[in-house]
Amino acid sequence: MHKHRFFTVITGIFLALAFVLVVVQPTPLWAQETDTTVSGDAASRENKDDFDDDFDDFDDEDEEFVTISDPLEPINRGFFWFNDKLYFYLIKPVTRVYRVVPEKARVSVSNFFSNVFTPIRFANALVQLKFRDAGTELGRLLINSTIGIGGLFDPAKNIYGIRKKSEDFGQTLGHYGIGQGFYLVLPIFGPSSLRDGLGDAVDAYYLNPIYTLDLKDRDKYTLWALDQINALSLDRDTYEAIKRESLDPYVFVRDAYSQNRAGKVRK
Amino acid sequence: MKKITSTIVGILLILGLNAPIHAAAPTDQLKKSLDGVIDVLREQGLDREVRREKIRVLFRERFDFKVMSRRVLARNWKEATPDIQDRFVILFADLLEATYIGRIEEYSDERVDYIKERIKEKRAIINTMIVTKSVEIPINYKLTLTGDKWLVYDVVIEEVSLVRSFRSSYSEIVKKEGFEGLLAKMEDKAEELKSTDGKKKK
Repeated sequence: MHKHRFFTVITGIFLALAFVLVVVQPTPLWAQETDTTVSGDAASRENKDDFDDDFDDFDDEDEEFVTISDPLEPINRGFFWFNDKLYFYLIKPVTRVYRVVPEKARVSVSNFFSNVFTPIRFANALVQLKFRDAGTELGRLLINSTIGIGGLFDPAKNIYGIRKKSEDFGQTLGHYGIGQGFYLVLPIFGPSSLRDGLGDAVDAYYLNPIYTLDLKDRDKYTLWALDQINALSLDRDTYEAIKRESLDPYVFVRDAYSQNRAGKVRK
Repeated sequence: MKKITSTIVGILLILGLNAPIHAAAPTDQLKKSLDGVIDVLREQGLDREVRREKIRVLFRERFDFKVMSRRVLARNWKEATPDIQDRFVILFADLLEATYIGRIEEYSDERVDYIKERIKEKRAIINTMIVTKSVEIPINYKLTLTGDKWLVYDVVIEEVSLVRSFRSSYSEIVKKEGFEGLLAKMEDKAEELKSTDGKKKK
């Protein structure tokens, strides 16, 4: 029961923050964003061809893109620094050792988790009334759980060409016109935003089988860590490249995060 | 049967040659460049510097650094003097090149799938997917038509636009430290990337 309290508290904090923002703030924070991609008409745009949207930004040279507001920047930078150290002194060495596992096996681990997380994508597609995507997810679950031997392989994609549709509760909120709020860097978890942090908590608490099934706490954390380390082991040092190449990695990551999320909401 | 086939091929060839002269489709042009890069990466026993130079040439002829620079600086572009603009374009090209080559070398086992091409007047968007053994990364290229050449003015990787990312961080630096501050930082970074590159693994 312990974990239930943990997630209730997290969800509660986010809900309280969201409430404060929506009700108390005279101009909601997302209204201050100049990024039009997460504006309210996102839903109405859904069925339109995104052709013109993608071309629109050619004439925007005068605009300054403020993709996400960051009122907590000093605190966020603190956690960014903390996560950076955590990464280089603990997570990266662990990942390096973990890479002794053959790549094929690691891809299977990744497939397995992805298959287990289907309820998150399915339910959120459904809530957004994207029935085709929900059907896709269901079909993938059936194919990959059977032919794909419990999700270890991805024949749905590799044989039938059915690709995963990334959906989560943060995107659902975005779909219904709720902006990202403001940027958050969470210790350990990394970049997030008010909206997506809340979204993640909701997904984890209600939809993620790892947390909803009656597992021991220790097993849950182990599975979570395995998923993270495994995903990182398949990545080719993206973070190192960002650190090496950008003039201000904090700003780069913040911007990349908000662009990526806004892009996913549009899809 | 063989004869018929070769006749058909012959006819197609002639038809192809007689096709009206216009710019080749943007995907064909982009594909030529990217295939070139992949070929260079796969070429065995190539000296590191020679390989880099080959990639550099392919990279430089497919990107429009001036358009990119203007879009990265956005409002600040008009406020900059022509001298600063020129220096910026050169530095930006250097930085992007170092970034691009550094990243592309990590993905030498890749395959590029061309998923969709959309053209609107003199602009085009090409959706591609980088497929490696373990991951798939969606990369969209935005191009403009200059003469008969389609040149890349933005690369969008997993929804993250290169130009927009540079714009955010550069405009903050210009605000705080002015153009000279930005150019100095870019110079340092380009220097740093060049010197650490040689020492990197392999």
